[in-house]
Amino acid sequence: MSLFQKTIRELHQMLVDREISSLELTESVLDQIAAVGEKTKAYLVVTRELALRQAKAADERLRARRDVRPLTGIPIALKDVLCVRDVVSTAGSKILKGFSPPYSATVVERLEAEGAVFLGKTNCDEFAMGSSNENSGYWPVHNPWALDRVPGGSSGGSAAAVASGEAIGALGSDTGGSIRQPAALTGIVGFKPTYGRVSRYGLIAFASSLDQIGPMTKDVADSAILLQAVAGHDPRDSTSSPRPVPDYLSTLRNGVKGMRLGVPKEYFVAGMEPAVEQAVRDAIRLLEQQGASIEEVSLPHSDVALPAYYIIAPAEASSNLARYDGVRYGYQAEGAKNLIEQYMLTRQQGFGPEVKRRIVLGTYALSSGYYDAYYLQAQKVRTLIIDDFKRAFERVDALLGATSPTVAFTLGAKTQDPVAMYLNDIITIPANLGNVCGISVPCGLADGLPIGLQVIAPGFREEIALQVAYAFEAAADFRKLQSPLMRAAA
Amino acid sequence: MSAVATRYEVVVGLEVHAQVLTQSKMFCSCSTDYLTAPPNSHTCPVCLGLPGALPVINRRAVEGTIRTALALNCEIPEFSKFDRKNYFYPDLPKGYQISQYDLPFSRNGHLEFDVKGEARRCGITRVHLEEDTGKLLHAGAIDQAQSSLVDFNRAGVPLMEIVSEPDLRSADEARQYVVELRAILQYLGINNGDMESGQLRCDANVSLRPAGRAELGTKVEIKNMNSFRAIHRAIEYEIGRQSEVLDSGGRLVQETRGWNDARGLTVSQRTKEFAEDYRYFPEPDLPPLEVSRKWVAEIRASLPELPAARRLRFVTAYGLTPYDASLLTSSKPMAGFFEETVRLGAPAKAAANWILGDFSRLLNADRKEIEQSSVKPAHVQELIQLIDSGVISGKMAKETFEIMYREHDPGPALTALKGSSQISGDAELEAIADQVIAENAQSVADFKAGKERALKFLIGQGMKISKGRANPQRLEASLRAKIT
Amino acid sequence: MPEPESELSSREVEHVARLARLGITPEEVVRYRDQLRHILTAIDALKRADTSKVPATAHPLEERNIMREDERQASLPAEAALRNAPSREDAYFKVKAIQE
Repeated sequence: MSLFQKTIRELHQMLVDREISSLELTESVLDQIAAVGEKTKAYLVVTRELALRQAKAADERLRARRDVRPLTGIPIALKDVLCVRDVVSTAGSKILKGFSPPYSATVVERLEAEGAVFLGKTNCDEFAMGSSNENSGYWPVHNPWALDRVPGGSSGGSAAAVASGEAIGALGSDTGGSIRQPAALTGIVGFKPTYGRVSRYGLIAFASSLDQIGPMTKDVADSAILLQAVAGHDPRDSTSSPRPVPDYLSTLRNGVKGMRLGVPKEYFVAGMEPAVEQAVRDAIRLLEQQGASIEEVSLPHSDVALPAYYIIAPAEASSNLARYDGVRYGYQAEGAKNLIEQYMLTRQQGFGPEVKRRIVLGTYALSSGYYDAYYLQAQKVRTLIIDDFKRAFERVDALLGATSPTVAFTLGAKTQDPVAMYLNDIITIPANLGNVCGISVPCGLADGLPIGLQVIAPGFREEIALQVAYAFEAAADFRKLQSPLMRAAA
Repeated sequence: MSAVATRYEVVVGLEVHAQVLTQSKMFCSCSTDYLTAPPNSHTCPVCLGLPGALPVINRRAVEGTIRTALALNCEIPEFSKFDRKNYFYPDLPKGYQISQYDLPFSRNGHLEFDVKGEARRCGITRVHLEEDTGKLLHAGAIDQAQSSLVDFNRAGVPLMEIVSEPDLRSADEARQYVVELRAILQYLGINNGDMESGQLRCDANVSLRPAGRAELGTKVEIKNMNSFRAIHRAIEYEIGRQSEVLDSGGRLVQETRGWNDARGLTVSQRTKEFAEDYRYFPEPDLPPLEVSRKWVAEIRASLPELPAARRLRFVTAYGLTPYDASLLTSSKPMAGFFEETVRLGAPAKAAANWILGDFSRLLNADRKEIEQSSVKPAHVQELIQLIDSGVISGKMAKETFEIMYREHDPGPALTALKGSSQISGDAELEAIADQVIAENAQSVADFKAGKERALKFLIGQGMKISKGRANPQRLEASLRAKIT
Repeated sequence: MPEPESELSSREVEHVARLARLGITPEEVVRYRDQLRHILTAIDALKRADTSKVPATAHPLEERNIMREDERQASLPAEAALRNAPSREDAYFKVKAIQE
């Protein structure tokens, strides 16, 4: 078994026991990137020099047994929406081509403090807008399970990197499902924490009231470790919560015996693939066998979550993306006669079609005469969705459902139909609007393609989501599933 | 003007933007000292609007805004929030300005001020807080330049917007409103009142309506007025321009006009072909604020004496006329100068006359503030004492004051005045003493009888004969010796 | 609640694109118009929700009054601030003249 196939925990033990060095481990992962990177196209930039330098520094730390942390020496991939000082950070957009931030995101600083090793910046849908990674301003990512399939999105590069052994773990960001959905489609674990749990400082914004950074890993325990490292209050993000961060590993193995788990009837949506539904129902039964009581619950406003999301997110995005004007950084169009023309050309040429579509939609939703009907109404619907979750969590400890209604689809299958594409997120979006947390954990295969079980827990109860997901993972046998790209190299 | 005033009613509302003096910017920790810093040396990811950067509210800026609002008699709502105002301009780094839209920190206040001794009141619609923009430098004239240069040092500096009701009825009222507002901000220590450097900026909305009509006429916004004088002149000009248009049967267009101080007129700033739509929405990066009554009470308790109260005190405690009190208190440094001069022993009336008279005339001519002058309260007090004790004449004092004012250190001029002009020579003093004794037999007798006050009178007579040039101490000694 | 116009017009798309300073070709106007009509039809479900007594959620968290003290920290060196500038002159960002 190659090093890149192992989990953070396994590797941490080997590093601590001096069985391996971080440099060996990092080289193993870099070799895997070299071997399969052209197939997955998971990375936009591989920071080889930086990774080797950090690995050597981690080895020093390990040798001296000085402040050895769970991530010391562990190679991690970073979604390209995260700013890393002096490393090109583009959010998958051509408008930021070559942009080298003079500062790092808080999560990046926290991982640096842990002694983690940065492999590079992973591909994603432009400004995290998409569900297939086909909206990347550079190139699409291919699913390590079937290269003609999408890896999901928008954190498709991070998902593909973890699923193919091109990273031990990764950070993604999730605005409407962008961690969980690609995790489901690539057979890994992806966890969207509660809004406010992880600092957004240095996360290139898509929709400020929804964006959240989270871990993407091979298993649930690794997600707990990675979340532990990055969670917690940050004085630079006014929306990061001052609540203390619990020790996620200490409750991870507590099991589901006696827990009440709810199954929202609205989450078995029309268009859900039968194999997906079957796998999810089997997963629910397995949790019941582990001692949980299962009951059906209702989240009555689930049907308006998608429309509310497709107002709120584009509206906020239209404002967040106004800064890309070609004045201070990024792409600047040539040949303009005056400033306004330069703005218009820069943004026309710099942004891709989906981003432009959402800017137009969001600007429209905020514009005079439409604000009340669209933006304000969507924010009121958001309140209804928050209340739905509150009521459900009065009865149950966590909610269960599918992550995505389908398995990974073929590249190009939905690119001409935005609405069909938006439907991918129909059961991940409510967790973003409802201020709760959600984790996707592999729960089976259909025709060789992974299926994800979604566990949703109340706001700031990440430990519950992890506990349920871990119990399922331990009882089921899907943890051992590996993508063909990962297996082939073994 | 008077003809205009009878045919039309002038309606003016003012929007004043005032920097809130803080150490750091509104939403980041960069220094606010933008005036002298090298370009783009006071910026960071937040105020440059770099991808991923997030704002954090400066508590002192919020408190400064609430302080101002309380001084302007505003209501402070319990709930407030920031909003994004979306528009594109190269000095605006994020493509939106963080401002306040429907829930500002305050509303419904008023400001009282005097116009030529008459009390006026103007409603304050709201005081809200926002961030300033960067600065654009145009290479050459704005309409000919090929490019502009941008400096973001000022971007993100806290800025209050103080919006008045359209309650002002003349250029005089508008100017006095700003004079009073500036004084209040200075007293609060929130703004230094410097209009030339742009720390205090004023825009005016001016319209005319036929006398007696209720609905407002077409409103014209005037920008770029950088002094009290400019505010007055620009509004006067605009009243004249608008009345001419109306008189000739024309129609006014709603537009923005810039005041050109050199040419003394307002110029239409290209009307936008396209109506802006700022698409305000709540700033998602900043949680809202609950302004507790306790917090408001604490801020209220910390308010200093404000110009109106000080004005009243100057009348009652120093016996000044309301007019003089009003002039002196319109500038906090000037009021402080006055009080210090009096504290050092100068009579209030004389101190007021000197400060408001010669001193202000010289300062105005140089466009200087009193605290920038090398003349200090001690100098003025000493000068007044010299006059009062008859050592120098008022005319000499005036001449000397101007010399003192011009000097880097006024001390020597004052000393020289005392020294050079005094008669200290024995023969000359003896002659004066003899003349006094000869001409004032009664007083001499009184003094001999033990009335000390009579001697003061005799000294005064001697000073008069010498036209104030006698050394009073020597003269007194000589008189004593001769009489007793 | 005012009824939004059901059919988005090309003119509205042009207007909104200009507000957003987004250059757009005549073909794109038509394409975006049609796609956005389709999206807006799907979004119209929003109107089904009875929100007459519901407050809007603009800020997901319950935290209030998050402020920092008025303290200075080091700024970026001007070179770091300017290093990504597509056009610059000395220590300034340079832009085309504003001619609207």
